[in-house]
Amino acid sequence: MVAFKRLLLLAAAFASSYAKSSSGDSVLVIVEPKKQADYTLFLDGLREKGYDLTFRSPRADAPLLTQDGVPSFSHVIFFAPDTKSFPSDITPQSLVSLLGSKTNLLITLSTKQTSLTSLAAEFSLAPAPPGTPLISYFPERSEPLNVVPIQPPSTSHILSQNMAPVWFSGTPFALGNNPMLVPILNAPPYAFASEVDGGSADSLVDAAEKGGEGLWAGSRMGVVTGFQTTTGARVVWAGGAELFSDEYAKKQISQGVESGNKQFAQEVASWAFQESLVLRIDHTEHHKFNTTTPSELYTTSDELVYTAQVSRFYPERGVWKPYSDLKDLQLEFTMLDPHIRIALPPVEGKPGTYSVQFRAPDRHGVFKFVINYKRKGFTHLLSSTTVSVVPPRHDEYPRFISAAWPYYMGAISTSVGFFLFSAIWLGGEVKAFDKKGKGRKAE
Amino acid sequence: MHVFVASLLLLVASVHAKILTLQSPRFVVLDSQGQQSRSEPISLTQKSRNPVFLNATDTLKVTFQVVDKESGEGTQPHQTFLRFYDATTDEEGIQPIRVTQGGKAKLELNMARPPLSLPPTGDVPLQVMLYIGQPNFSPIAVELFDLHVPHSQPPPAHPDEASFHLLPEIHHIFRPDQKLPYKLVSAVFSGLVIAPWFLLVGLWSQVSPRLTHLFSPNVLPFILSLGAYEFLVFYYWVDLKLGQVLLCGGVLAIINLFTGKHALSSIAKRRLNKD
Repeated sequence: MVAFKRLLLLAAAFASSYAKSSSGDSVLVIVEPKKQADYTLFLDGLREKGYDLTFRSPRADAPLLTQDGVPSFSHVIFFAPDTKSFPSDITPQSLVSLLGSKTNLLITLSTKQTSLTSLAAEFSLAPAPPGTPLISYFPERSEPLNVVPIQPPSTSHILSQNMAPVWFSGTPFALGNNPMLVPILNAPPYAFASEVDGGSADSLVDAAEKGGEGLWAGSRMGVVTGFQTTTGARVVWAGGAELFSDEYAKKQISQGVESGNKQFAQEVASWAFQESLVLRIDHTEHHKFNTTTPSELYTTSDELVYTAQVSRFYPERGVWKPYSDLKDLQLEFTMLDPHIRIALPPVEGKPGTYSVQFRAPDRHGVFKFVINYKRKGFTHLLSSTTVSVVPPRHDEYPRFISAAWPYYMGAISTSVGFFLFSAIWLGGEVKAFDKKGKGRKAE
Repeated sequence: MHVFVASLLLLVASVHAKILTLQSPRFVVLDSQGQQSRSEPISLTQKSRNPVFLNATDTLKVTFQVVDKESGEGTQPHQTFLRFYDATTDEEGIQPIRVTQGGKAKLELNMARPPLSLPPTGDVPLQVMLYIGQPNFSPIAVELFDLHVPHSQPPPAHPDEASFHLLPEIHHIFRPDQKLPYKLVSAVFSGLVIAPWFLLVGLWSQVSPRLTHLFSPNVLPFILSLGAYEFLVFYYWVDLKLGQVLLCGGVLAIINLFTGKHALSSIAKRRLNKD
């Protein structure tokens, strides 16, 4: 029996070692040692998936986020929403440079003003003023007003369908129109930011009349929002850390209905840590139609064939597999501006292969084959290959043009005439002419 | 601890949650002269069947009084929000309504000066909802009516927003192919070009020179190498590349030089002998 159990454990360990992020397994969790136990369910979920967790107190000086300019961890979780001042290596600037080196962040905020709150503004997020959590009178419930059940959207790529509502408490933020923002969970339409007690009705009206971001209200506010940088790193901003806590994961939405917090937290983490919606271009190639060898140099008006191979990361097995389900991939052939922009459709029967044939423009210059595929939530696919398009060489023009027949005839006539004249002059007899002008043989 | 107490208190409160109600809820549409064009009571249970149309100068007035159903006294709720929602674009605007201490609420929506909370609008009507929330009372959510308002400017989009969607296709417009004249025309003019040959052949019979030295070993190599040169030029046009022509032409030139010198000197010698 013991042996069987061991076998099971081994199998579980083996299975879990498959599930990895596409960008590394080391996670730094910045959390007060006292509060570490509050997030056991979430953190154990990460461990089960195969992540290697390291803990650091928000006041401790080690382990460092970056050592010798190299990031020490693949992912960083901030479960210290109330911490006002971090050690010197955790500054908004250092977090931005971490993103530049493709480290993913999961940041939780609170209703307190911290240095991270001001960093949120750099990501087109405007958190509600300090001290005003998200509150809602709907639905009627026994919990405090600032503990709000929110139904996750059913159309999200990041979250699975039909998830139970999740408990949230914390600050909402107004979303800017930056397209790199990926809304994951928005506030319900009837919720708004206000002091839990003592907030007056008149102050809400006054705030709205101020215009702009005066009133934080409605479903255009985010409570959990992702951001994908141009470097491909992902940040998740959550308005409250309680969302990830054991307390909310175990708290029932209504009698007998489990909250969706546990599942929600795992799915948000798997997006943030580059597990879900991760794509990549394996390679691209181009060649002239009817040939197979790629060239650096094409002639204007050549028929070209461009092929790209796209893979997607499957976290269940931790493998990349060819992915043919992109329906709206486009290829651009650009010289400063795109001269050609056409669909790059998947090739049937060849998984992961996208190919298109087109005619190069009749304009010479240095062109680029460009794939620039950006969709909210998905990894951005960027590829650029430079080729030259040149006019035909001197011997590539047509040689036999019907319009030039008279010229050909003229040239050939001249040549033949010259040859005949030479032959006759060299091989002929010299005749002498008498004075009467009558030809007579000299001999 | 105090959170726990607060939640316990709320639990107690919600069990005995009091009920709010709206007294004489009503909306009025006024035109630019202040004339009433529509006036209807608002039902708390059913959305108005007829959508409300506002043009650029109309004013919408919504009035009601929030009262505690039990005591009948007016009360000022914490949350009295009107929500305008466009389901197609997901644009939303929240407009808080000012309510007096006595619970009297009045909202004027003047389309000549639309409030900032009104979302950008298109063809689809805005759904208008009313949310009322007050501690210790059951909240109220009422679907009021659909609201047609004049089109607005679309919301300002981020410059990069377009690159996150399918972009319009671009096709290169090629220069039209060169137009060639009819082949018959080319053939006629080619005929004109070679016409002098017929004249030449005619005149040949008049001159009828005798080519007695053509095959003499002194002259023939030069004539052949000249012919080879002409053929090389012709072949260049048909198939060869410049380098090949220069190479062959260079070799031929040397042959030409010697055969030519020999041929010409032999002719000169022949003439001198004759004299």
